[in-house]
Amino acid sequence: MKTTLIGAAAAAVLAMPAFAQGADVPDNLEKLGNFQTTGTTEFTYVPQEGAFADGIRKTLERITLPEGFRIGLYAVVPDARHMAVGPQGIVTFVGTRKDKVWAVTDRNKDRVADEVKDFAPSLKFAIPNGPCFSKDGFLYIAEQNRVLLFPAAEFFYESPDVAAFNLVKQGELIPPEEESYNHTARVCRIGPDGKIYISLGQPFNVAPPEKLDLYREVGIGGIIRMNTDGTGREVYTYGIRNSVGHDFDPETGDLWFTDNQVDGMGDDIPPGELNHQTEMGQHFGAPWYGGGDVRTNEYAGQDVPYDVVMPAVEMTAHAADLGMTFYSGSMFPEEYRGAIFSAQHGSWNRTTPVGARVMVTHVAEDGTATSEPFAEGWIDGNGEYLGRPVDVAQLRDGSILVSDDLAGAIYRIWYEGM
Amino acid sequence: MKGLSALALGGLMLAGAAFGDAPPGDLEAGRKVAGLCRVCHGLQGVAQVPIAPHIAGEPVSYITRQLAAFRSGAREHEMMTVVARGLTDTQIADVATWYSAHTARASLPPGADGSAAPALCVTCHGETGIAVNPDAPNLAAETNIYLATQLKAFRSGKRRHEIMSGIAADLTDDEIRAYADWYAAMQLEVTEPGAPGPCGAAC
Repeated sequence: MKTTLIGAAAAAVLAMPAFAQGADVPDNLEKLGNFQTTGTTEFTYVPQEGAFADGIRKTLERITLPEGFRIGLYAVVPDARHMAVGPQGIVTFVGTRKDKVWAVTDRNKDRVADEVKDFAPSLKFAIPNGPCFSKDGFLYIAEQNRVLLFPAAEFFYESPDVAAFNLVKQGELIPPEEESYNHTARVCRIGPDGKIYISLGQPFNVAPPEKLDLYREVGIGGIIRMNTDGTGREVYTYGIRNSVGHDFDPETGDLWFTDNQVDGMGDDIPPGELNHQTEMGQHFGAPWYGGGDVRTNEYAGQDVPYDVVMPAVEMTAHAADLGMTFYSGSMFPEEYRGAIFSAQHGSWNRTTPVGARVMVTHVAEDGTATSEPFAEGWIDGNGEYLGRPVDVAQLRDGSILVSDDLAGAIYRIWYEGM
Repeated sequence: MKGLSALALGGLMLAGAAFGDAPPGDLEAGRKVAGLCRVCHGLQGVAQVPIAPHIAGEPVSYITRQLAAFRSGAREHEMMTVVARGLTDTQIADVATWYSAHTARASLPPGADGSAAPALCVTCHGETGIAVNPDAPNLAAETNIYLATQLKAFRSGKRRHEIMSGIAADLTDDEIRAYADWYAAMQLEVTEPGAPGPCGAAC
């Protein structure tokens, strides 16, 4: 098995010499691209037991789920954001909005992680929020303004020095002067066409008119796609405010994505969105619409210059729908197969907080979709957050993982039956 | 509760004496206003999300000035502009009083040498990121990306300040990241209003 993996990685390197030869290869990328050591030998390990873990387990006792389902602590992972489960099931990579990517390993396969350490510690990451895997084991990490590529990451992650390449060089995902810390948590997925799809949130509450031409050209406030050698970049989706979760329906190949809608219009409008895209270039309404069919004050009364696709599901206003995944496992009962599991981070300034839960969305044969809460209880009686779910990912056994960047944890939800 | 308030005011006067601030607002009212802030900045001013800074122990004048700038549009942020738009002068004074009444202390991480602190920054922000100039915010233990984002905003002109705009103008991306990494690595300790400090009776 190891021989196969090394072979795959070496082949990848040979096939992509351009990645290692950029004029301004940052940090240690050049060395890592040549399989040299950088001298960084220290991992940071996150303790998995103790009072902190016990506190999280106590919180989980109050989480409610449909009958037959259970939730437990899978791993303590600081600042845990979006997740990518390795296609071989060896390791789960977890992004953050800080400077670390965590590698989470369940070595004894008791479905509780027993090792959490930082991935590629010799690299300086900036908002490495979005990891995603190709089926053949290439890990991509979408950062604030760069996308890195790690061949055979499930094998190389055991060493501090991993083979690493630029897919999109620093400063070329968006123009550097457009960088922001807010709405800059990227997510990525490899589509059924083999291209990588990357979300690019726009940094404003409502994007101002003078930015719209640039944003349309670059794909800010949209989703872009490109070939996995970095060529052929194009804008796939327009009219998004800040999408931090997307996935492809394994049945139809269609892209579905969540979007976070405009603040400051009141507690109950505009609705959050779960969107369904059926062809390239569709426009989803921002900034003319603030969410659903609610028009923004800034563009009130103006003609909307595009045909706009309305959301497939209007979600609770301000609940902050983030990561999502289609369920393709067989552990859960029939009604959940093919459904969408998604995370609501929870509102940040609503009078009474809403969200902080896992939703499930059932898509009917005619394409209509309905959402309902699946796991909830992370808001206590004082309106205080005990956790804030970010992303949902599926393990090979058909259970699902839920990340939480407030508690700094990953939970596992499994089905035990009635 | 009365005892707590009295102690808190005592602490506040000490903090105020250092920077010449008079507490302009009401501590308890400020704690209630902080309900609007706590999802991101924490009720004690210790940030809960990496995009937000720690604000515990910042001078009243600093917090007031930033909130007023967000409210007027002089400083812009997708979330803070929405929040500040709805605040009255009294609410700003109260919430600034609340967060300022906390005490922030910082220490070097194990093995760090204070003389390696970025020379451009220490005159105002201190070696450990506890400001020594009332016009400057604390930087201790802020997320490095937050600090880098602010420095880049000063460099590009998106954010302006008579001293910081000039300092940031010529910084490279690598310098910005190095300075941000230094302060992000500090260990921050925050004490609530009225609580004895970490040094207890020895203080």
